[in-house]
This record gives sequence, C-alpha cells and structure tokens, in this order.
Amino acid sequence: MSWAYFWSLFSISLHAMVPITLTAVGEVIGESAGLFNIGLEGILLLSAFTGTLGARAGGPILGLLMGLVTGLGIGLVFGVICAYWKGSQMIAGVGINLFALGFVAFGLQVLGSPGFYTVPRDVQLAPIRTSVGSFSPLIPVALLLPFLIHWFLNHTGVGLRIKAVGENPEAADVAGIPVELTQLLSTAVGAALAGLAGAYMSVSWLGSVTKEISAGRGFIALATVVFSGLRPLLALAGGLIFGFFESLATWIQSLPGVKEAVPWQFISMIPYVATLLVVAGVIGRVRFPKALGVPYRRE
Amino acid sequence: MTQGPGASRPRPFPHKRVAEFLLRAEGLTKVYPDGTVALSGVDLTVRPGEVLGLLGENGAGKTTLTKILSGLLPPTAGRILTPRGPVRFHSPKDALRIGIGMVHQHFALVDTFTALENVALGLGRVNFSLLRKKLERLVAETGLRVPLDVPVENLAVGERQRVEILKVLARDVKLLILDEPTSVLTPVETAELFKFLRNLREQGKAVVFITHKLKEALAVTDRIVVLRRGKVAGEVSTKETTAKELARLMIGVEVEPGRRPVELSLEAEFSRAAAPGPKGEPILMVKDLQVRSDTGELAVRGLSFELYPGEILGIAGVEGNGQTELVEAICGLRRVEAGEVELLGRKVTGRPPTELYRLGLAHIPEDRWKYGLILSFTVTENSILGLQRERDFQAAGFLRARAIRGHAARLVREFGIQTAGLSAPAKSLSGGNQQKLIAGRELSKDPKVIIAAQPTRGLDIGAAQFIRELLFRLREEGRAILLVSADLDEVLALSDRVAFMYEGTFTGIVRPAELTAEAVGLLMGGVKAGKG
Amino acid sequence: MSWVWRGFRPVLESVLAGLIGLGVGALIMRAWGYHPWPAYVALFKESFGSGYGLASALANATPLILTALTFAVGARAGLFVIGAEGMMYMGAMAAVALSLLRFPSGFHAFLALFCAAAAGILWGLIPAMLRAYRGVHEVISTIMFNWLSHFLSFYLVANILVDPIRAEKTLSIAKTSRLPLLLRGTDLSLGIVVAAGLALVFYVFLWHTVAGYEVRAAGANPHAARYGGVSPQKTVLLVFALGGIAAGLAGAVEVMGRPPTYAVYSGLTNLSGFGFDGIGVAMIGRIHPLGIIPAAIFYGGLQAGARLMQMEAGVPFEMVRAVQGVIVLALALPELTRIFRVLLRGWRLRGERA
Repeated sequence: MSWAYFWSLFSISLHAMVPITLTAVGEVIGESAGLFNIGLEGILLLSAFTGTLGARAGGPILGLLMGLVTGLGIGLVFGVICAYWKGSQMIAGVGINLFALGFVAFGLQVLGSPGFYTVPRDVQLAPIRTSVGSFSPLIPVALLLPFLIHWFLNHTGVGLRIKAVGENPEAADVAGIPVELTQLLSTAVGAALAGLAGAYMSVSWLGSVTKEISAGRGFIALATVVFSGLRPLLALAGGLIFGFFESLATWIQSLPGVKEAVPWQFISMIPYVATLLVVAGVIGRVRFPKALGVPYRRE
Repeated sequence: MTQGPGASRPRPFPHKRVAEFLLRAEGLTKVYPDGTVALSGVDLTVRPGEVLGLLGENGAGKTTLTKILSGLLPPTAGRILTPRGPVRFHSPKDALRIGIGMVHQHFALVDTFTALENVALGLGRVNFSLLRKKLERLVAETGLRVPLDVPVENLAVGERQRVEILKVLARDVKLLILDEPTSVLTPVETAELFKFLRNLREQGKAVVFITHKLKEALAVTDRIVVLRRGKVAGEVSTKETTAKELARLMIGVEVEPGRRPVELSLEAEFSRAAAPGPKGEPILMVKDLQVRSDTGELAVRGLSFELYPGEILGIAGVEGNGQTELVEAICGLRRVEAGEVELLGRKVTGRPPTELYRLGLAHIPEDRWKYGLILSFTVTENSILGLQRERDFQAAGFLRARAIRGHAARLVREFGIQTAGLSAPAKSLSGGNQQKLIAGRELSKDPKVIIAAQPTRGLDIGAAQFIRELLFRLREEGRAILLVSADLDEVLALSDRVAFMYEGTFTGIVRPAELTAEAVGLLMGGVKAGKG
Repeated sequence: MSWVWRGFRPVLESVLAGLIGLGVGALIMRAWGYHPWPAYVALFKESFGSGYGLASALANATPLILTALTFAVGARAGLFVIGAEGMMYMGAMAAVALSLLRFPSGFHAFLALFCAAAAGILWGLIPAMLRAYRGVHEVISTIMFNWLSHFLSFYLVANILVDPIRAEKTLSIAKTSRLPLLLRGTDLSLGIVVAAGLALVFYVFLWHTVAGYEVRAAGANPHAARYGGVSPQKTVLLVFALGGIAAGLAGAVEVMGRPPTYAVYSGLTNLSGFGFDGIGVAMIGRIHPLGIIPAAIFYGGLQAGARLMQMEAGVPFEMVRAVQGVIVLALALPELTRIFRVLLRGWRLRGERA
C-alpha cells in the first residue's frame, strides 16, 4: 500500500469534515441559546440545492452566499416559530426536514434532472492547488471558525448573554436581555452556517446535488454537538472524527480487493455505527443548558 | 451612570410635597388572562430613606405588585409615577434605568456563571476589571461578602442571595425590592440581612420588603402596607402598630373565629402539643440514611428517626437542607446511597413507590406540578395515578371506566374539590383544589403513614386550613404523619415533635413546647441540641 | 361547550395547517411559473373525485397509517421516534424473505405479517435500549438505524433476495402470501383493514388499558408517572416495540398488497419515504390513532392526485411533500387557532381603517 493511499484518506477526511463541523458549531451557538434544531438535515439539503441555483446564476461565491442566506432564512422561520410563538422545536425541525425533502425533489425535477444534478464545472468553487493536492478554500474556514466561535461565546459580552439565555432565560430576562431576540438570532446564525455547509457540498466538494446529498450529516452534526457538550473546539474535534469515519468508508472501498471481500453496503455503514458508538459512549458526561428545548414564557 | 442616593439631591419641583416620594403607584390593577384579579386599585408610595414593609398572606397580591413595579408585568390599569412624571415599564430594564431593582424570591441567577459574570450580565458592555473593582468596593461598603470567581451553583443559598443583591446594587438603584428574602435564610443570615437593610436606609436608599411574617415586618421596617385579596387593607407606621393589629389587617374581620391562621394560634397550639406522645412500636424507621442530590453531593448525611402511630413529626428547617431528597428517598423516588428505611417492620429501602403504597405509605409531594399531578390529564385520570393497577380500577389490564369515574366523583364530593367537571383537565383547577385532589387520592389508599411535604405552600387561607385540619384528623385516627414544611410556624403549631434539619442532618428532635425562640434560631442555624 | 371546543380545536388546527400548506405550495408553484389553480384542481379531482382515485388514496394511506402509528405511540410516551423508515424496510425484507419458504395460502400471509412485525421490533430494540438505559436521544439513534437499515436493505435486495431473472428487483411475494385485493382493478388490498384495525387497537390500548394509561402518563409528566409507579425504562421498550410492529407491518403490507409486482425495487424506490411521511401524517392526525386514519387518507389522496397533477399541469408530484412539510411547520405552533384569530382581527382592523 503506497503513501498516496493514506494521503487520499487524509484529503477526503478534511473535505468530509467541513459540512459536519460548520453545521455543528452553528448548532452549538443555537443550542447555547436554548434552541434545539433537528431541521439541520433539511437545511443542508435545501441549501445544497439553492447553492447550485446561485452558482448557476452568478458563480460559486454567489452560490455559497445563496446557501448561507437559505440557512439564515430557514433559521429565522424556525426562530420565530420557536422563540416568539413558543412552538415545538421538535415538530418545527421535522417540518423543515420534510419540506426540504419535497422541495429539493421538486426543484431537481424542475431543473430537468430528476434525482441528480451536476453543477457545471465552471461555476464550482475553484480549489486551492498546492504541491500536495488541491483543497477546498472552505477547509481553512471550517478549521478556524470554531476558534472564533469559541472566543465569541466565552470571551465576549454577547456570548455571555447567549449562554445566559440558554441556561436561565428568566434570569436573562430580569437582567434586561431580550430573550426571544437572542434566541432568534443565535439559531438563525447557526442555521446560516448549516446553509453554508450545504452549499459547500454541492458547489465545492461534490459538485452535484441529489435528493440524498445530506445523507444524515445534519443528524451526525447533532451527534457531534452532543459529543462536544456545546464546546466549539470539541465540535471541531468531533467534526474531524466523523469526517474521518465517513472518508474511511469511501477510502476502504477504493482499496484493491476490499470490494470483493466485504459488500460495499456494509462499509457504507461505518460512519453511522461510529456515530452511535461515540454518542452512546459520551452521553451522561456532558452537560447541556438547563433550558435547552424548553420554550420560555414569562410568568 | 453613577448617581448618589437619588433623593438626597435637591431638585426643582413645583410642589415641595411631590418631591417627597421616590415612586408612587396609583390605582394599580392586574387581571390575568385566566380572569384572576390579582390586584385591584392599589395605591402605594415609596419615600427615600425608608424601609417599607409589604405584608400579606399568600395570594394577597404582593408578588404581582412587585412584578409590576419592577417592570416584569404590565398592569391592566393604573399608573406608576416618579418625581419626574409618569413612567411606563416594558421590561425590567426600564425599571432599572430609573433606579428600581428587584431581588426575586426565586433567584434569577445563571448557575454556571460566577458572581462576577452574573453581575455583568445585565450591564451591557462591561469591562471586567473595572467591574471587579466596583464590586470589591460595594462589598466593602455593604458587607455583602461573596466569592466573585466561583460558579454560583457552588455557593450557599445565603451567598447566592447576596449575589442577587449585588447584581441590583451594581446598577446604582435607588429603590431595592426584596420578595420574601428571609424564606431561604437561617436566623443568623436573616439578622445579617436586616443589618444590611438598615445600612442601605442610612445611605438614603429605599427598600420595599415583602413578607408574610409579622415579626419580620415589625423588626426591620419603618412603615407597613398590608395587602389583602389584591387591595390595600391598611397602612401603618411600624412604631405605632402591634402584631395583633397587623394580623387583623392581613386576615380581615370576615374570618370565622376558630379559623385563625396558624401564626396567630401559635401560642394556643403550644399548649395543645403536650400530646400523648409515642404510642407503641414505631411504624416508620429511618436508619443512617444517606442520599445524594441531583448534582451528586450528599444531601442527606446519615439521618435516623422513628415515626410513631398517632403523631405528627414535623421537619423544620430552611429549604435546601436535604428535606426534598429525604422525602424522595423514603418514598422510593430517589436512590438511597446508604442506610435503611423500615416500614411496618419491613425493610423497604429502594423499593418502588407502588410497593410502598401497598404497604400503607402515602405521599403528598412537595411539588404538585412535578410529582403530584399530570396537568394535562383529567381530574378522573389523575384520581387513579399510582392506583391504576389496583383490582378496583382494572380488569385483565383494561381500565374500568365506570369504577374510576365513581372514585373521582367520590373524591370531588368528599374533599369539596371545585372543578368544572370530572373531565376537566387538572390544570384548570386552582392550587388549593389541586392539592385537595392529591390529598384525596393519597388518602383513598387508606395509608398508615402519610408523608406530607410542604402541603400548604401557595394555598389560600381556606385551603391551607382545610389541609391542616385534615392532617390533625388523620393523626387522631391513629395514623402517623411526617410533615415537612419550610413554614416554621406551621410546623411548630401542628407537630407533636419537631426535627430541625440542617445540611443533611438533624440538629435536634424536640417537643415544640420545650422550645424557646432562641433555641429555634440555633437549631435552624445548625447548632446541635444537647439531646435528640 | 368547552369540551366541544377542546375536541374540535385540533381538527380545526389541522384543517388550518392544511390550508396554510396548500397556500405556500401555491406560492412555490407561482415562483416557478406554474399555475397553482389548475394544478390543485387536477390534484383533488383525481384523488377525491372518482372511485378509482379514492381507492388509490386508500391504498396510499395504508402504509402511512402504520408508520404514523409508530410515531404517534412514541410521541404519546414523550419520545420522538423517527425510526419508522428503517423499521419499515426491515418489515418489507422479512415479508419478501418469507416467500422463499412454502406455506398454505392465507397462513403464509399471516406468518409473513408476523415476521415483519417481529423484524420491526428487532430493529427498534437497540435504539430503545440505548434510550432506556444510556439516555441516548432517540432522534439520533433512530436516524442512524434508518441509515443502517437503508444499506442493509440495499445489500439484501441486490444480493440475497434478488430476482434471478430481473436484477433490479427482489423476488416477488409468493402467491400464497399476497394480501387479497378488496376492489378489482385497483390496488386497494386487505392491507387497509390491517392498518385501520391496528389503529383501532392502538386507540383502545392508549385510552382503555392500564399500560396505555401509563404510557400517556410517562409522556405527559415523566416525574408524576414515576411517582405513580410507572417504570420509565419499561415504557420506552414497550413503545418502541409497538412502534416496531406498526412500522414492520407497513413495509410488509406495501409489498404484499401492492400489484402488479409484489416486490422491492433496488434503491428501495417503492418504499422510501413512507416512514418520514408517516411523521407528518401523525402530526396532521394530532398523534391520535383515530385522527391518523383521515390524515393518512388525505395525504394518500394528495399523492394519488399528484401523478395527475404532474401530467395535466406539469407540476412535479414531489411538490406534495413540500406542502406536507409546511403543514407540519404550521402545526408546530401551539395555538394555531389563536394566532389565526389574532391575524384575522388585525386584518379586520386594517380594513376598518382603510
């Protein structure tokens, strides 16, 4: 087995890490403020699709922007329903996922390519070419963003207030912090990052959209948040771990002889089994905000 | 925005008298969406440099009034005036802006944050090192010593209250509102708080002190406003009033004789409590019990006691000293770390709740919304919670609808539960009727031992009295009752023996008649009694 | 009066949410240059305007009733079980696998249904135990098991149960194991009776048995339930098992009662989505077993009509699922009717001012 094989494992891992990490650190912000969004999967899917629309219309940057805006928009809808109207976060999240499934399938039909749409090469985000291979420009973004968010949540006044809202909304309210607005903006920013992640998948990484492009990554990101205990740096670590398992599945299949020995379907199960094991292993050790998932009502 | 004591600064006002107040409320009325009238036409004036007592029974409207004054609730009608004119609060922030700060009965602290972070929370953009200096100065001035860099969840209750007060003081308030601040304090801590309040008064600030305890109102205030059923029942100068007058104002004349509140009948009950004493064998025995709290600390540290038929054993003490964990452990709702519980001579440590109740244990839980009732279930459905597997109510796994309805109807009749119907959800009942439903259900188990935790908390006078008389009757029927209550007067009045709980142990088990006020203070504050 | 309102309000809310969903659907169609009105006319004409359409609506409703029951019984216990999709695949696989064996007609079908239910239960066992004993959130575990089921079924379809003649599908269900059709010329089978019957059983279970009472108690207030002697662990296991039965049967009745092929296609194309659609159906039916039946027929009708809508108005039929998503989003609101009233009042005020 040559060095190149391992190098490709590393390279795929880095690329697979990006959507999970971006989505997870975004969700860390939202959950810090007390909103639990299980619609991330749908946001990934929707923005992967709208990202390609944006890219077709005005190039890769517009594509990424479209993904970001899609996530932001869905996040605002989710935030208004859950923070202001005290709607059920779980049900709203499911609604987003169902809507995304239908809307993207519908959209792909409209584009005239049911099930699979290839993003034209000239509107894909150009990779950074180095002597050791080419990488998506979003890899450094995904590597640095968790540090930025870590600083933001733990060392700024706004971060302090976000955490206060998630931990004890009543105390935050009494302290004059606008609870609903804080929750709305936190979850919307988080959803926007998921949107960026979705657009990355179609416009930069995979170069195509399918109905299954999200492939459970939204939920794996939720698992990553559980793993991280709402610490952005651990979310990055989790993203790297899950990204590694995902690429492991791809990589093993590329090895000579493996396909004959083990059916590919079983190798494809690796990331999901890994997620289950990690979550089952860390649960109970992590501590979540007290008011997570509970709508806040002033008495 | 650093202002000195607001009122000491002369201001040009047209009428001199107007400037004599710091805050005035006129005709405040609050009607809740469900139709409850919490306040109707309340006038209140707060002057600089005074401690104003706001006295009233549970449900008199004290908390609603202060929530309006601190901007947490909008009034339905009426207005709030400052010397500068009328103001309208949209949030607590608005109230703080003009110098009104509130310390809530339930602390508004973020547990995972340090004291410093909690104080910083409401201040907007903060410079932490400047804030630390300011806090250190405040601590030096007021004597409210607290560690600034420890998460507040690791602080004692008294210390947490200080953080709450510091939070408000750091915002340069002129008026501090304290809602039942002593309910979580030991007598020693209470004395320190009072000293601090007098100190504030010296600095020209105003304090509104809310309480339902006559003694405290008399001890620390300058002026007392008594609320009854949402209206001002009277306003008196502390120097010129007596406990009797205050009590009359609080309760009103329409209360039947013989239905006096516990606090008034306290002296009479002391003599009554010379009870027959333990009869026969103990029915419930707890030996060296150890229980952990939710956060994993030992909340009950090696407790032992016996409960005899025909007695009420009261457990007094400031809340949070392990009472909740003790009750949950005895009732099979919390893991026992070490030690034993014996019911009717049988070891029942760690047995599930239904097994305990079959042996004769009933539990009126402290938190009726958490354990006692399923609020979205109907009265009928709630009437069999815990009894659902009994022969009377099921056959071959199917619920016997008619028998269950009959049972619920019986409870409603016998306990005088006011409800729109048997199919009304439990959440539509008032607090008192919810408690009656729970009590009725638990007593329908025909228990030998009744564990009643805070059974009268939050009830109006009538309902509270109903429950107290019920406990008495049960005692006379020869049942054993363990009464846990944070209301010291209630425990002293009802119990044959009183145990004082402090940090997970009993400081003593005594007969109420043998107690002096000083002894009570010492026992609650953690000083062990010579015997017990 | 108030209890009438209490019973009626959920229905009204579902209808309102349905209207909101269709409204947003119309907006999306407009945005893409379609004409919503003829599209909706085609949609409803087909599904509820003809006997054949109604039969297809009922046929489509069959698996949805069952997967919705999975979600509903979980939700009643306070759990968010979204694993019906994976359990359903396993049920379908079990039903197909049973056709490898020979049994007398009738008994064969019964046995296949039984095995499918068992497969559904088995597929829920690990997430149930992870929830009950480790506290792993069921949303994450059931989604992961959906993907495991997805890949396992891919493998079984392509390798073990594959039709030796036509590699794109599994073996067909044996004739002895097929569910009889209720109406000739339609694809409405006995499956609808199985589904509606199970809904009735779930209803009786939840509201007329001790165990059902305990499940609802655990969902409404877990603390009070424990105080009342309800074991949270047993409740989780019970609810997952019941959900497994329903979802397993959903997969089975779909392959055993759907002419002409009676098989699973590679890519699971004739199965995929029932589990997720069931969640939406359960919510439209207000997680009530009897409410689920009309909700499933409504959604099954939309699906049936969607084909005609695609043919006549050119609108891709996937539109319908997006509409369902919006309906669920609307149903997330706790007091939909109240918000509606507030909006109405605001609208009236504006009208007066104008």
